[in-house]
Amino acid sequence: MANISIRNVSKSYGALNVLRPFSLEIENGEFVVLVGPSGCGKSTMLKILAGLEPATEGQIFIGDREVTDLAPGDRDIAMVFQNYALYPHLTVRQNIGFGLKMRGTDKTEIDRRVDDAARILEVTPYLDRKPKDLSGGQRQRVALGRAIVRQPQAFLMDEPLSNLDAKLRVHMRAEIGALHKRIGVTTVYVTHDQVEAMTMADRVVIMQGGIIQQIAAPDELFNNPANLFVAGFIGSPGMNFLNAELRDGKLTAFGQQISLPRATSGQGPVVVGLRPEHLVLGDAPVTFGVRPTLVESLGSEKYVYFDSEGARIADGEEGKSKGLIARVSHTGSLPRDEEIRLGFDPAQLYLFDQKTGERL
Amino acid sequence: MRRTLAQSLALYATVIFTLVMILFPVYWLLVTALSTTDELYRLPPTFWPDNPQWDVFARVWAAKPILLWLWNSMLAAVGSVALSMLVSVSAGYALSRYSMRGGATMGLFVLTAKMLPATLLVIPLFSIFSSFGLIGSLWTLVLAHSTMIIPFATWMLKGYFDTIPKELEQAAMVDGCSPIGAMVRVVLPIATPGLAATALYAFVLSWADYAYARTFLVNSPDNWTANLGITTMQGEYVTYWNDIAAASVFIALPIIAIYLFLERYLVGGLTAGAEK
Repeated sequence: MANISIRNVSKSYGALNVLRPFSLEIENGEFVVLVGPSGCGKSTMLKILAGLEPATEGQIFIGDREVTDLAPGDRDIAMVFQNYALYPHLTVRQNIGFGLKMRGTDKTEIDRRVDDAARILEVTPYLDRKPKDLSGGQRQRVALGRAIVRQPQAFLMDEPLSNLDAKLRVHMRAEIGALHKRIGVTTVYVTHDQVEAMTMADRVVIMQGGIIQQIAAPDELFNNPANLFVAGFIGSPGMNFLNAELRDGKLTAFGQQISLPRATSGQGPVVVGLRPEHLVLGDAPVTFGVRPTLVESLGSEKYVYFDSEGARIADGEEGKSKGLIARVSHTGSLPRDEEIRLGFDPAQLYLFDQKTGERL
Repeated sequence: MRRTLAQSLALYATVIFTLVMILFPVYWLLVTALSTTDELYRLPPTFWPDNPQWDVFARVWAAKPILLWLWNSMLAAVGSVALSMLVSVSAGYALSRYSMRGGATMGLFVLTAKMLPATLLVIPLFSIFSSFGLIGSLWTLVLAHSTMIIPFATWMLKGYFDTIPKELEQAAMVDGCSPIGAMVRVVLPIATPGLAATALYAFVLSWADYAYARTFLVNSPDNWTANLGITTMQGEYVTYWNDIAAASVFIALPIIAIYLFLERYLVGGLTAGAEK
């Protein structure tokens, strides 16, 4: 086990920069998730960390050892791939033991460690099967087994759950979390799924366009997003955004002047962010009337979609122009096209610079 | 979905027609071998000889060095397969996995070599082999057949390697393999059906050659291949077609045996990739 230090690593293909200088210190035993939309550079960063792609610039240290120019096999890391990448011509036992065999480990030692790993991941009954005879979840366990059997300095996981169905994904998510607690190996995990990032990570690195947007613990990201992108990416459904005017600590939105409880230095056009769960039915410090355009019931709660002047769509969510969303607890029925009153507490508003997208 | 009677009839008619088209020449070869010379020239032809001459095989086997010819064909084919697989596997793998400046163009250029007819290359190859003193040696066939096989085999294998996910090699490299190690330990074992199909293709191409053998080996009877040997059985005044047909049966047998042996890999090779 070791800490990982990524120092100013960048990657470009000719004139195309896929990764801007990227620096990150990962503590020994930490579970760090890189998350972002496709093409944000997260998988590229993981491949550079694994040695499968060379960095254009920068250095990588695992423990005290610089590994920037080492071959993948010399970095003492293990990787779990999205499509599992199990060797189809080898049995489960041979798959798990392959890395040890390549390192010249003694045969009896390989058997002992493969048996241990198989027991931890509950794949012992399948040790003599080929990967094609396993279910998706079993294959994923074998891929994890191949990683843990080597007792590497770090695990790298590239969207390991995205090929599983929703139910199994939740289950494996918990298993990976438990496995990390049990063996405590430093883990870098890449996903595009913010739920995975929020539930599994000690710290989350949010990326977009090859640039780190924010590095923080999950709750911190949710409560204090650094910019519009992070605010829109974290949370489900995503944060509502409205264009509004800010003058002398007063905000013009939802057809009224709203006094902000906190002093804000900004003036002029801003983007207001309001989480769907911070909207309530009925009385609140600020209320306004809307006609829902759509009401989705999830049983215990309802998503109320409505339009409002100035509503804007979060970055990267083009096409989801359903307007604003309120996530309300309500067991009765909410008729569409009949006016209802929604409210919120202005203390829960987020303000962003309209030009830079930075939090004010 | 159940087939209607008309569909079934059409299906069976197509299958039977195709089988007849493919198998009739083989059947006629056998009929020719078993017929007497008189019967061969009789009109209308008989579809089964009145008096099958089963001893023709033993007679031809004794009269002609069939075994030597087969052995030479086998050496040339095995040599061509070995050389062209060595080159094609490396080239196909590189074309599939590594992007290099001009790589795709180079790959297509390799394929254009296949579009030239073999006869076009006979004269330059003859001149090259002469200057190396190779004329009359089976090495000429190994090299000449490889020029025919490599371009197509490279592309066949490239296509096959393209169906194997890159992550498998990446996983092997993370597990401690070198790039070559990952290819040998992981990619090639998985590519067995593709390799078998390509090798069979290469073997058949070499086995079936006549033009190169005739040009490079005609003055070296000890190195005659089966196809070349058979044509020498054609006489200036009289040709015993039944003897030639009998010799042809001997020559067809090895290829059928190899096909039967490789068939299970071959079918896998032709259908693999369809499901991905």
